[in-house]
Amino acid sequence: MKVAFKEISKQYKGKYALHNFSAELERGVYGLLGTNGAGKTTLINILVGILKSDKGQVLINDIDARKSGVQFLSHIGYLPQFPQFYKNFEVMDFLKYMCLLKEIPLQQGEKRAKELLEVVNLSSAARKKIGALSGGMRQRVGIAQAMLGDPDILILDEPTAGLDPQERIRFRNLITKFSENRIVLLATHIVSDIEFIANQVILLKDGQLLKQDTPQALMESLNGKVWHVIATDKTLDEKLKRLKISNMQRDQDNILLRVIDDEKPDEHAASVQANLEDVFLYYFGEGEQW
Amino acid sequence: MVRLVCFEWRKHFLKRSIIIAMLLFSVLNIAKVYSIHEESSLLANPGWKDLYWKEWADFGGAITNKRIEKLMNIYLPLEQLTADHTASTKYRTPDTYLSNVYEDWNFFRLNYVDPMKYAYDYKAYAQGVVSAAKENIAFYESVDNSYERNKNAVIAKLFEGRSITSFAYTEMYQYYVQYDFSGLLVLLICLYGLMSVFLHEKVTEMDILLLTSKAGGKATIWAKLIASALFVSSVSFWFWVVDFVSFSIIFDSWDAASSPLFMLVDFIHAALNVSLWQYAILSALIKTAGILVFALAFLFMSILFRNALIPFIISLFISFISIYFEEVTMGSGRIWIKVINPFVLLFNRELFRKIEFVSLVGFPLPSYIAALLLATAWGALLLGGILIVVRKNTLWKGGGNRVHLEV
Repeated sequence: MKVAFKEISKQYKGKYALHNFSAELERGVYGLLGTNGAGKTTLINILVGILKSDKGQVLINDIDARKSGVQFLSHIGYLPQFPQFYKNFEVMDFLKYMCLLKEIPLQQGEKRAKELLEVVNLSSAARKKIGALSGGMRQRVGIAQAMLGDPDILILDEPTAGLDPQERIRFRNLITKFSENRIVLLATHIVSDIEFIANQVILLKDGQLLKQDTPQALMESLNGKVWHVIATDKTLDEKLKRLKISNMQRDQDNILLRVIDDEKPDEHAASVQANLEDVFLYYFGEGEQW
Repeated sequence: MVRLVCFEWRKHFLKRSIIIAMLLFSVLNIAKVYSIHEESSLLANPGWKDLYWKEWADFGGAITNKRIEKLMNIYLPLEQLTADHTASTKYRTPDTYLSNVYEDWNFFRLNYVDPMKYAYDYKAYAQGVVSAAKENIAFYESVDNSYERNKNAVIAKLFEGRSITSFAYTEMYQYYVQYDFSGLLVLLICLYGLMSVFLHEKVTEMDILLLTSKAGGKATIWAKLIASALFVSSVSFWFWVVDFVSFSIIFDSWDAASSPLFMLVDFIHAALNVSLWQYAILSALIKTAGILVFALAFLFMSILFRNALIPFIISLFISFISIYFEEVTMGSGRIWIKVINPFVLLFNRELFRKIEFVSLVGFPLPSYIAALLLATAWGALLLGGILIVVRKNTLWKGGGNRVHLEV
């Protein structure tokens, strides 16, 4: 399966939500990274057919998705942002309903639903009403429904919202396992969601593709641009104003600053290895004031 | 599709609040029927009721000369005694049936003499109508007015051979056919229940999941429409049954079921030759059809908005404005205005109590057929509107259009 976005543009009230966006996705986990309002959800909505692009096309295995029509939907598993689901439905009934919507045969769907509830650690909640679930549990129901029918393309919009650290780790492992021979598109602004599992990261800013590469390559591209600088309480304010800081850590009287800068910010500054959060800050963090 | 409809039913209509509303409104409905009986029924007075059913053995059933003679033997002396208002008003004199002769006179006049006279005279009256209609046919033929000629031909055919041969207790039906309160209750429950059918998907963000599922599009929209129609029909059926059973029990009879509709004085010019039980079923079906049209209007309004309050208020406004226009035009000669309003189906006695016509390209169409055709047109228009306006996936044929009034 191959998904290609060809010069996709979409405007809302004269403002571009996406502008000439082009990218290609083949099997693996793709992290779609951008600030709020960068165009992540718009891109996903165009991919799944909820929105029509003003320009450009989405190709699935080199065929226009619109020509595939609804058949294309059978390849998709989708978890939208902030779904509430039906509060008066039991978890299992909701998954059965989703099987019906996805046209998965009843018995096969029921079996898969049970397996997925096991995977997302919700077997004991199968007969609970969705309205009685916590936010994290509801999110896990959402992940399970997206995986019903074992779709070729799994699209997850802010999937870790409401998950606790243990659930996040479980989720990451699940996605890694699931991504074999599939495309997983994971839109988030939480860097740690994709840092360890994404094969490719797509950086989206103001509706435009900023960069698409492996996390490793993106981090390496910042070699010599991430620094450790030591500040004191007296010099801290001046440094905060002048430098782009990704982290601060107090060490007795001193404060260790993690600085992102093209130039060596200080004569005592020591170059350190970049991580994906630094990449995020490097591309999206200008103008931040502390 | 059946399973989709079942899920839609569970999602939107299998709610505690709807069940509670149904139960409370049913109780209210029964109370209302009871109050009608207490306020209006001649037999609400236990003394009258006992005497009525006692006399029923002598006067109920086929209208024969012997029975009429027997009734007149009781009634005429009472009429003479009360004619100059000088008879004794003393309470319970031995020769009276009830408290005094005035009450006896009123009892027999209202319960037996007037209704039996109406029934007995009806045949002659109907023949008179037929004769007048035939004269009109001849006249309009002579002046080459085919519309009026056809109209009178329908009237002549309708009234031909009409007669009432059997006397029955019709009071229950008399009030039953005038009863509209339950229609309003059904409309309110449907408004409440239907508001969530499309809106709930938006509120829960499930609309996006539906749109990205294979059967979440057209199949789900049709499942919603079918489930809504079933809901409306079920609620209507329940209330029409409650109405009929309540009237039958509270009035303690449904004796006149097989009597003709024109046995009710209000339906002297009834547009149909059907019995009362047939009319009860027909009326219930037509009322349900009327509510279905309103249900489509409610669904259409709910699609346009993201919150329930505005479409709820607009739908309520539409209902009340329809009721207002129905009341304004009721009994008037403005037949087109009357039949164009789908609410007339809920007040359908207005269509059946007398034969009225509208001109359809010069052909006289009975008003009830015109009303049904126009209601069908409204329904088709609203259904088309729903199918056009409802949000669709752009991957579907004709998808991508979206109408959304963000208020």
